[in-house]
Order: sequence, then structure tokens, then C-alpha cells
Amino acid sequence: MIEAAKKRILIVDDAALVRGYYRAALDDQSFEVEEALNGLEALEKILAQSFDLAIVDVNMPRMDGITFLRALRSRELPISSVPVLVTSTEAGAKDMAAARSAGANYYLVKPIGQKLLAEYAAIFCGVRR
Amino acid sequence: MADPSPLTSEEFRRLAEFLYRRTGMVFSEAKRYFVERRIAERMSATSCRSFTDYFAQLRNDERREVEELINAFTINETYFYREDYQLACLTTDLLAARLAAKRGRDAIRIWSAPCSTGEEPYSIAIWLLENWKEVDDYDIEIVGSDIDTDVLEAAAEGIFRKRALMKLSPDLVARYFHPLGDERWQILDDLRQSVRFSRVNLVDTRQTRLQGAFDVIFCRNVLIYFDDESRRIAAENLYENLLPGGFVCLGHTESMSRISPLFEVCRYSGAIVYRKPMELRA
Amino acid sequence: MPLVRKPSAPGPAAVAEGAGLAESLLRGTDEERWAAARNAFEVPDGLALLSEALSREHIPRVREAIFTALAKIGTPEAASAVLPHLRSDDAAQRTASLDALRAMPAAAGRHLPQLLRDPDQDVRLLACEIARGLAADDAGRELIALIEREQNANVCAAAVEVLAEIGTSSSLPALARCGARFPDDPFLAFAVKAAADRIGSR
Repeated sequence: MIEAAKKRILIVDDAALVRGYYRAALDDQSFEVEEALNGLEALEKILAQSFDLAIVDVNMPRMDGITFLRALRSRELPISSVPVLVTSTEAGAKDMAAARSAGANYYLVKPIGQKLLAEYAAIFCGVRR
Repeated sequence: MADPSPLTSEEFRRLAEFLYRRTGMVFSEAKRYFVERRIAERMSATSCRSFTDYFAQLRNDERREVEELINAFTINETYFYREDYQLACLTTDLLAARLAAKRGRDAIRIWSAPCSTGEEPYSIAIWLLENWKEVDDYDIEIVGSDIDTDVLEAAAEGIFRKRALMKLSPDLVARYFHPLGDERWQILDDLRQSVRFSRVNLVDTRQTRLQGAFDVIFCRNVLIYFDDESRRIAAENLYENLLPGGFVCLGHTESMSRISPLFEVCRYSGAIVYRKPMELRA
Repeated sequence: MPLVRKPSAPGPAAVAEGAGLAESLLRGTDEERWAAARNAFEVPDGLALLSEALSREHIPRVREAIFTALAKIGTPEAASAVLPHLRSDDAAQRTASLDALRAMPAAAGRHLPQLLRDPDQDVRLLACEIARGLAADDAGRELIALIEREQNANVCAAAVEVLAEIGTSSSLPALARCGARFPDDPFLAFAVKAAADRIGSR
């Protein structure tokens, strides 16, 4: 039986505990997880290796998640089309709209349950769980 | 020295997170022993009896302990053709991009800052002569700058020992150096005369400004040691000293992600380089 | 040999001073405003000028130069000039403000107690990051007090993140009580445990 390659997910959040929490939710048979601390590091990692999904927080040092998203979407294919799930403490319609217009595929409000996160990750990566 | 006392998993993780946040360097469990040795050295040097005390000093950056610790983790030796994948990137991609962007046949200006004892600027010169097909078609100006006047003097003198030349083939050594005996070689006069050395503190805008605008800047393995404020200022100084579209190369463990959002990140044949956009509002 | 050495570098671009500086900073081209911001930190009324410029500036790279200049001034007044921008709806402005405050920890630290009591939960959340740059004792005290009274779980989580780095055993009871106050928050439970584990080894 041919094993499918694991889907690669980039977790982008400046809080170490948040990254650890998401990693615990995702690091299993279906996913390979990498981390970045801010939008700039995320861009560098995406340029260096392919990813199937990026989970990106909004408030991060040096480059926030919305600016990252715009920068990503302005690149060339295939990098520009990496699915991005934005996470934020903001529940307001304005913030969701800003993320959407920057090119987010989806928007989740913190705190996010691990099970929910894993489900969304599976959907965006196209894996059956 | 006795075996370093092991760090608990949690102490190791706390330290690893601190260093990752500050520098981007990643220390996985696999590197635990390596880290413990360095911590033991630093604890001894700072007379700290416990990791908790040491970590407190580190967080407060007492007596520049962050710089000392990072120093302990990085290879500080300079030698010819160090991190030569970036020199390759220069001739494969960066110069072509610069020539496409520049009008006319202005000189190509390359800055090596810090240049230390000269290995880097002379490496750039030799690499270009050896590897750039168009090297005879353009004027190339190489400037080497450092804060330390002693190393600048040595750089201008251009005398090197075997260790500095270890990555160069005997062929290259024969072609660009003459032996002085006593295991010392001096770089050829032509090359010595063609690199300009200047004393510059990268955090001092008045000094950096005097060096003019460059096409490519090599600023490797120095910003990682600066504190937050100094890194920002130095990055702005580098930005100011670049022509629009010009490039900055940092050391291979360094990243602008911890330093400044001014630059655009580019990837060329295996190297991450940073570019000043054509316009401020890009 | 194509390698050339010029006797001296091209002179630096003339930078406006005095009244010219204010003019450049507030009404110049992008490049002029950027250059003026870089020089404004050392003129007598630089703080006022930079503060004014910051409230009007829309270009991120010029804003970055203004923030760096304010960080260079580094006084509590300079930090005051930055603080309002922590409330911005624009994520990039919030990030740049917080970065500027991080670059002047002593000055920013003077405002910490008040920021941690701000009516706006987003400001309280971002302020926890400022605590990270301070001496562990002071910062720890402030964050422990915060998690004892804070009603917003995300703000607590931000404080717990910093306590994981700086907290001592004195933080443990407050951490436990905080976790207990938000039994339905899955992340906070994880974070409190992780922080307690880190601290427990000290």
C-alpha cells in the first residue's frame, strides 16, 4: 500500500504555548507541523519549502498576520495560493472582513479547540480523518 | 571540567524558547548536550550557581550576557569563502538583477560590513574574478568596514595564515596570494589596493551614510548580537545605504524576521536574501 | 583589473534641518519624510514633531522610521506618544507600536500598570508582551495581579504565556485559580498547565 505523504502545516503565532497547543492537536499521522514566530519568518519558510496550509495569528511582532497574507497573495504561484486560516482574538465583523479581503480562506476566533482545529486543518488540506 | 549538570526538560525548553524568540535559532532536544555545555561555561563565567539565576541574568542582558551566549553558539571564525553559497548567489542571480535594474554602466558597489580582518571583502573580489563572466565589463567597487581599527589595519595589510585559506584550492592561493614564508600568505597588491577599508559603527547613521549607496551588502553574523533597538537602527542604516532594488545578505542562521520589516524577502537558488523595494511605499 | 577603489565615497544626501526638518517630516515626499524621521530624534522638539508625524503617516516604512526615532528617544514621554497607536484598528500599526515599546523597555515599563488596567481588552492583551521585557520580579507581580482579576480569557492567556518565561513558584496559586475561573476555555487549561510545568522546575 502506498502511504500518502503527510500534509505540511505551518503554524504562525508568536506565543510559544499557542504553537505547542496547535502542534499537539495536529502532529500525527496526517500532518507534519512546522512553526514560525511572525509573518516574516512564515514568508521565509514558505519560500523555502512547500506547505499545504498556514494557520496564522494576527498580532505578531515585526509583521502581523494581515500584512503577511497580503504579501503572500502578491507572490507568484504556487506560493500565493497556499491556503491560510487566520486566527484572532477579534470576533468583530470588521476584522473578519479585513482578513477576507487580504485573502484569508477562513477565520477562527480564539480560543480554538484542538479538535475543531484538526477538523479544519483536514478540510483545508484535503485529508480524510 | 566536570560534566555540565543537565538542564531539566523545562529549563531547556525555557532557554530554547528564549533563544528562538530572540534570534530565530532552533535548539531541538537533539542538541541538548551541546546546549548544556555552553550553559555550563556561561554559568561558570558569570558565577551563577543555578540555571534560574543565570536565566534571570540572561533575560536582563546583564553585562551583555545575551551576546556572550549567542557567541558561544556560533562559529566566529572568519575565513575565505565562508558561506560561499551566498557568493554563488551573487554571481548567479544578484548581479544580474542589479544590472537589469541599473541604467547606464555605473560601478557595481558591494559592501562587506563588518569586514573583520578582510577575508570577506577579498573573498568577494576573488570570487568575482573567478566566477563572474562579465567581470571585465563593469567597474566593481568593494568597500570593507568594521568598528575595530585593529582588524581594519590587518585587513589592509592582507596577510593571512593557513587556517584562513583552508577553503581555497592551492590553485587559488597560488593565483591570488604570494607566500611570505612562515605559513603566511599575503594577498596580491592589486587586490589589496582595490578594496577600500573604512571604520564604521553600523549603529551610527552618520558614519554609515558616508559610505554611499550599494548594490549588495554582506552584513553577516553581526546583527544577531545586537539588542532590539540597535538592530532596528542598523537595519535602517543598511536600508538607507542600498540603491532601490539592492540586496542584503545576512549570516545563514540570521533572519530579518527578528530585526526589521523594511526589506522584501527573496529566495534565489538556495539563498534567502533581502531586497530594498524600488519604492518606499511598495 | 575591474576592481576599482575610489578615493572617497559619494557624499551623504543633504538632510534638512531646523524648520526644513519639520516641513520635510510633515509635508515632504515619501523619501523626504523617511529621511527627516531618521534625523528628528536629536532635534530639540523632535518628540513633538515625531508624535505629530506619527498621527498622520500612512506609509508603513516611514511609520517604522518614526517609531525607531521614538524608541531612540526612549523616554516615558516618547512611549506615551506611541501608546495611542496600540489601539489602532490596523494590525500593522498595533504591531509596529508594540515593537517600538519593546525597543524601549524601561520607558514602556513605566506605563505597564496603567495599560494592564485599560478598559480595552485588546490593549491589556498587548500590554502583557511589554511585561516580558522587564525585570522578572516587577513584571511577574503585575501579571499575577492581572490574572487574579481579569475577566477576559484571551488576556489571561497572554499573561500566562509571559509567566511561563518569567514566573516563579509564587505565580503557581494564581495560575491555578485563573485556570479554574475559565473551565470551558480549552487553550487556557493547556497554557496554565504548561506554565506551571515550566515554573515547577525552578
